[in-house]
Amino acid sequence: MATTLSRVTASPDPEEEELDLELSSLRAKICKVRSRKRILTSSLLTTDPVQKLLRNPAQVPTSLNNIAAISPLVHAAGAHTSSNHHRIAFSATAFPFKDPSPTATVTNLLGLRLDVCTRNGRFTKPYYVLLRQEPSHTAAGSAKVLKVHRHTVPSFISIPRLERVYLPRAHTSHKNDDREGSAEDEAEAADPAKPWKKSSRAVLEQDVRGFVRELRRELVAWHMRTDAIDFLREKLGLVGEDGEPQPFDVSPDRDTGIVSLAAAALEARYVRLEWADGRVGRFKLSNAGIVERAVVIGDEGRDKKTEDAMTGGGGRVETVLDRLKVDVSSKSP
Amino acid sequence: MARPKTVRAPTTASLPHNLRIPSTAPSLAKSLGKLSRQALLDLAFLWLDDRNVTSFPPYLQSDQHDDKVDDEALPYPAGETIEEVRRAYEDLQDRKGAKREVLERILEGDWRHGITLRQLAMADLRYMDDHPASLRWTALELSRIDTKHKKSKEVPSVDWSSSIPRMQAATFVQALQREISPLVKAHYHLARSATLPLTFLRIFVVDSPYQSPRQTAEIFADSSRVIYIAFPDSCPYVYTSITAPTGSKATPSTTSAATDTRTLQRLVRDSIPKALSRPQERFSLQATSLAAKNLPTLLALRGPGRSTASNGAFSIFADAAIEGSPLDPRPSSTVSAEEHIRTSQSDQADDKENTDLSTSKRPHGPDPGSLCPELKKRRLAIDSRFGTLGSSLTPAPLDRLDIRLLDALGSGQDQSDEEDESVSTLPAISLTFTGSDVIAGIRKLAELGIVDPERMPSWMTGEEGVSVATVRQGRPLQKDK
Repeated sequence: MATTLSRVTASPDPEEEELDLELSSLRAKICKVRSRKRILTSSLLTTDPVQKLLRNPAQVPTSLNNIAAISPLVHAAGAHTSSNHHRIAFSATAFPFKDPSPTATVTNLLGLRLDVCTRNGRFTKPYYVLLRQEPSHTAAGSAKVLKVHRHTVPSFISIPRLERVYLPRAHTSHKNDDREGSAEDEAEAADPAKPWKKSSRAVLEQDVRGFVRELRRELVAWHMRTDAIDFLREKLGLVGEDGEPQPFDVSPDRDTGIVSLAAAALEARYVRLEWADGRVGRFKLSNAGIVERAVVIGDEGRDKKTEDAMTGGGGRVETVLDRLKVDVSSKSP
Repeated sequence: MARPKTVRAPTTASLPHNLRIPSTAPSLAKSLGKLSRQALLDLAFLWLDDRNVTSFPPYLQSDQHDDKVDDEALPYPAGETIEEVRRAYEDLQDRKGAKREVLERILEGDWRHGITLRQLAMADLRYMDDHPASLRWTALELSRIDTKHKKSKEVPSVDWSSSIPRMQAATFVQALQREISPLVKAHYHLARSATLPLTFLRIFVVDSPYQSPRQTAEIFADSSRVIYIAFPDSCPYVYTSITAPTGSKATPSTTSAATDTRTLQRLVRDSIPKALSRPQERFSLQATSLAAKNLPTLLALRGPGRSTASNGAFSIFADAAIEGSPLDPRPSSTVSAEEHIRTSQSDQADDKENTDLSTSKRPHGPDPGSLCPELKKRRLAIDSRFGTLGSSLTPAPLDRLDIRLLDALGSGQDQSDEEDESVSTLPAISLTFTGSDVIAGIRKLAELGIVDPERMPSWMTGEEGVSVATVRQGRPLQKDK
């Protein structure tokens, strides 16, 4: 027995290898079909007719009298869809979370979930912020203030800075109003657009809405910037069919002569450009998608004309290549 | 190649890139010998690349006339053209052989006139790319020194982007050189990491410019004189290979007048924030009590990504392991964490992820459904405490964890925060965990039932993301208190 085993492992039969390959591919196919089946069943359970049927059990046909057996599933599916609808529609949703640590001072956390939709129609990994309610010791009495406990926001968006403005705490301020106790309620009642307008009156007001709004705006702006850069790269043909970046030796774009365009860092605030004739450039993207500033340097110093073409004409980043095209065609004849 | 004797005066110039180290130096062979055969070949091709070959020209036959060495005695005859040298390495690439062969060809053949400092730096960085755990890194946080603190609060800016100094690597090196050149003679090499989102700066510190007798060749390949600084993309952190200045108290050696490598390293470290600062925008470096051998760990715990501020129990949020995208019709309780992570990681590669499903099914342990209720309960507790940390899903190994416990003996949870009464009889207990992955080890202990997953304090789950902590009543003490 042992000898046969060793023989098999020593010289793998090509036929056997082929069979193994076939087996694994079949297994993968089964998995694929199975997950598809799961998605389809869940979608089916969430459809309107099924959900309606559940709400009016009187209409259930007698042939489907086993609906009682599957009703937990349908209920779960219904709850899931409605929370999904909220996430899609409002983008920011809240949920409770319990800190499992036995040594934590505050175990009940307020979770915020932000969903951002990107260019390909998919949603990114949700961003979370977990807020902790802390008693604040002020002269006016003890009250609860919110504080950011944990978050998954990329670190180039400064959570401490946002927190300082929208969720100020007692010891950062000199004023001790006792209005902060109902900070949340007040924030909702107050005009959420301009929290700093009334900062002279009540510094301690915590504005959770404003916090979420600004944070979401910053996150969406970041995704829009990366999307805009991806869009430009696709237009230039710098991205291959499968979404993978092409190797370095790409031929320059015919109209503009650009050989490379990429974000300078993860934050995608600055974009670096390279032309075939050796000019290099860099432009700054604003949150609104406008080319704010541009610098192009060639062998003979700054290329002001290209810079103006990039920032001029409304400055939209999506059309920056068209403007450069016009610029090139007007220069060459 | 003996240079004519010249008058030596201290200058503030950095060491030139093309300063050659004699290739006979044994330490040079040692530091190049750390590399694998493939890495050596890649380096040789890189050096012979059209863009680089002017910086590191190989030894050719045309160089021979001013050398009186008998060529026949040498095992590697000099090539006629660069093309020929390239072909020699391509031949080596094609056939299998020992690493020794390539190394000897480089040192005794094509670069027998010496390896430049820049070549050595490239070799070192290549080694770092291949072995990301070869050095111990300390994470430091860049924080802005805000002089007008109060004023800036009254007028909230609309710019919420973090205070990351916008760094042009070349400009930074210039500024750094301006800072330290009166005190330190050094060689600088900047490179982008091939595998990680990092920019490396390798500073090779030789000496102070005033004490510059002729250096022996040995000193140039001395790895203790090399300082690495890594700048991760888009986040206010800097990683250095300089060990934390804990030993600074024990350096009364002022007599040796700033020539030992320690002092020179400290000088470099102090000048990093100054070089990053600009008028009206000053930065300082602050310790973040994290040091680890693995660069990916540092990137996960002090990097630009999601897991910087949520670890331990909260790593489920960082990895988005409990809920899927809002477009997923499946209720999230029916989808395993692995699937959630995988789907959100590879949004585009649908086909790939489906083939993965069969291979990576339930990596840890048997299905919870088949376990006895007690085990099931423990597993649930472990999952809730550790999140995805320490499992095979998110590898961010911490190789060392130092904990100082400040609890008085027998003190219960109900003891209030009166600190002064316990000072006198405070037994300080220091715990040090070392290993390839400390948090995964604690998780395994909990799985085996040795550690109670429900009652252990949060520092055991890696929640704070630190490698050094002082703990009182299960909670790490805040630095700023």
